[in-house]
Amino acid sequence: MSAILALVVKDLRLLLRDKAGFIFAFVFPLVYAIFFGAIFSNVGGEATSKLRVAVVDEDGSEESRSFVESLTKTSQVEAVTTSREEAVESVRHGRRLAYITLPKGFGARRDGMFWGDPPNVAVGIDPSRQAEAAMLQGILIRCSFERMQDMFQRPEVMAGRVDEWMKRVQAADDISPAWRAALELFFPAFKSFVQNIPRDESGNAASQPGTATGRAQSSPARSSWQPVAIDVEPVAPQASVKISSYAWSFPQGIIWGVIGCAAAFGISLVVERTNGTLVRLRTAPIARWQILAGKAGACFVTTVCMTTALLLLAAFVFNVRPQSVWLLVMAVVSVALGFVGIMMLLSVLGKTEQSAGGIGWAVLLVMAMLGGGMVPRIFMPSWMQMVSHISPVKWAIHAMEGALWRGFSPAEMAVPCAVLIGVGLACFALGVRAFRWSN
Amino acid sequence: MINLSRLRKTFGAIVAVDELTLEIHRGEVFGLLGPNGAGKTTTVNMAVGLLKPDSGIVEVDGLGSPENAAVRRSIGVAPQEMAIYDEMSGQENVSFFGRLQGLAGRKLAERVAWSLEFVGLADRRRDRARTYSGGMRRRLNLAIALVHDPAVLLLDEPTVGVDPQSRNAIFEKITSLQERGRTIVYTTHYMEEAQRLCDRVCIIDHGRILALDTVEALIARHGGKSVVRAQTAKGETRIETDDPVTELKRLQETGGLEHFSVDRPDLEQVFLNLTGRRLRD
Repeated sequence: MSAILALVVKDLRLLLRDKAGFIFAFVFPLVYAIFFGAIFSNVGGEATSKLRVAVVDEDGSEESRSFVESLTKTSQVEAVTTSREEAVESVRHGRRLAYITLPKGFGARRDGMFWGDPPNVAVGIDPSRQAEAAMLQGILIRCSFERMQDMFQRPEVMAGRVDEWMKRVQAADDISPAWRAALELFFPAFKSFVQNIPRDESGNAASQPGTATGRAQSSPARSSWQPVAIDVEPVAPQASVKISSYAWSFPQGIIWGVIGCAAAFGISLVVERTNGTLVRLRTAPIARWQILAGKAGACFVTTVCMTTALLLLAAFVFNVRPQSVWLLVMAVVSVALGFVGIMMLLSVLGKTEQSAGGIGWAVLLVMAMLGGGMVPRIFMPSWMQMVSHISPVKWAIHAMEGALWRGFSPAEMAVPCAVLIGVGLACFALGVRAFRWSN
Repeated sequence: MINLSRLRKTFGAIVAVDELTLEIHRGEVFGLLGPNGAGKTTTVNMAVGLLKPDSGIVEVDGLGSPENAAVRRSIGVAPQEMAIYDEMSGQENVSFFGRLQGLAGRKLAERVAWSLEFVGLADRRRDRARTYSGGMRRRLNLAIALVHDPAVLLLDEPTVGVDPQSRNAIFEKITSLQERGRTIVYTTHYMEEAQRLCDRVCIIDHGRILALDTVEALIARHGGKSVVRAQTAKGETRIETDDPVTELKRLQETGGLEHFSVDRPDLEQVFLNLTGRRLRD
């Protein structure tokens, strides 16, 4: 045991004196975690995360201005009204995500809520940002609904509007008889409904159906009528806890540190062989397994130390608190064991330091790319997400996130941890079997 | 001290060592010589337990095979490659390998200090090994081999790439170790080193022993004749002879000897006579 301890201490001492290796193992993951955490946490101004759009109001009506005002009020959009040419250029040069055109006739169509063509909005989007286009569409639909919501909030205005619509329907000659008959039945009933909506002290529509009659006293009161209520909340067992962007950037940063440790120690085994120190180790009165156990122990200790240091930093500086400390310990140990095994396998891939380093990093980078170490898996196409299951990096991130903020139960944690330990054992066994003890 | 009995080792179709038998006596400096690819390294690797022979027996100090870890404790190895950690100090290197040999505490500290003092590195013990000169690195290599006070020392080309001062210092250390009763196995390509240091020399080629004896006996048996080059009144002459003194007297009496030189056979001549002058890869 003292021989293994001596081997571990020797490798840790060598790592501490290898500045490049130390930086890659400890500093790089920290930079990664802070960099991506900062990007996604809006540091540097709230506007950095808003969808920046240009609006071309070709209609210039009260309705179109009202629509632009609704759009501008939303917290997710930063909108500027400009000419069509400028709007197109700003999108083409990537300065803005999209331009939104409200064409002539937009207001008239919006006013005719129940007949005629719907108001149309043209959106020109940056083709490289299709993922955000769906989000923008949702915001545009919500803005459209706000008009209706506004009218329902003011029953008197709505009743007057219904009378006006009734007159226009009766005077119009471009409505089919069947549709006209339907509207003539609908509008009076609708007006009656609007006039009977319960009101608050200021005369606006106040509470949800049922509450006023006492049939749903336990339901929370709604401040105004809404066509649809959308509540957004994070999917985590402790929904009240705000999930910081650092909570997911730190696991990814840590994985890069783990990868750096696996690569460094894998290469160091090859260096022992090419430098001749392995010959001397083999002539010492210790078994071969002890030599490899010493290297594995040093890799394990370094990985755990690096991970612990970063997690402590995340906790005390960036307020990333694990939902379960014990499950986090389980994740850290599993990740370390998994990548110690991978380190052992990497050490047999090349005969020289250069080839081992090149091949090792190539393998690890592919693992990182597939496993979500570079780009979160959510942004990958479905087939790639499927393929990513073969990457230990995916399971490592999954285990860390599970303990940090996904609120995994012990049973749920068992899956990624078992995969990592299994991969580690298999790789270690293969590596030991294939290891070259001499040049 | 070390008995190798009918050792055989093959690598595929190549027979590296072929039924090799030899005995190295306690307290002697034993030279193992041979051209590249002769089987020296394979023999040495089997002797220290780095390689398992296909057949035959290796026994060290009556304890058994060096494949047994406990037997390896009585062997110290200074490989030809600098088997040291550049980013560790001389003291850390020696201390680390001392721990692997089972030393600890005060005993370890004493042995580390003695080893570094013995090879003349005590003053530089705290400096990183990468700052050492070639000669200092060779001496550190030797100190690591000595730290656990082994009965047998294997020195593989210990003077390659060092300056004359360091080489001379290493020679003195080897002589000193022999005086302390250590058995030393010495492999080298430098024949003058073997001639100067070794009590007995074994020359092997193609995995077999070509000759094994004291240096004097090998020269007498395989060195050939002395060469006398003389300038007389009759002109220049070259004579191969077993008795150069008698030959010089004869030249003096018959032709008026003006000046002369005598080339006596040495170990290099023995080596070339036994292994041939054909280049080896």
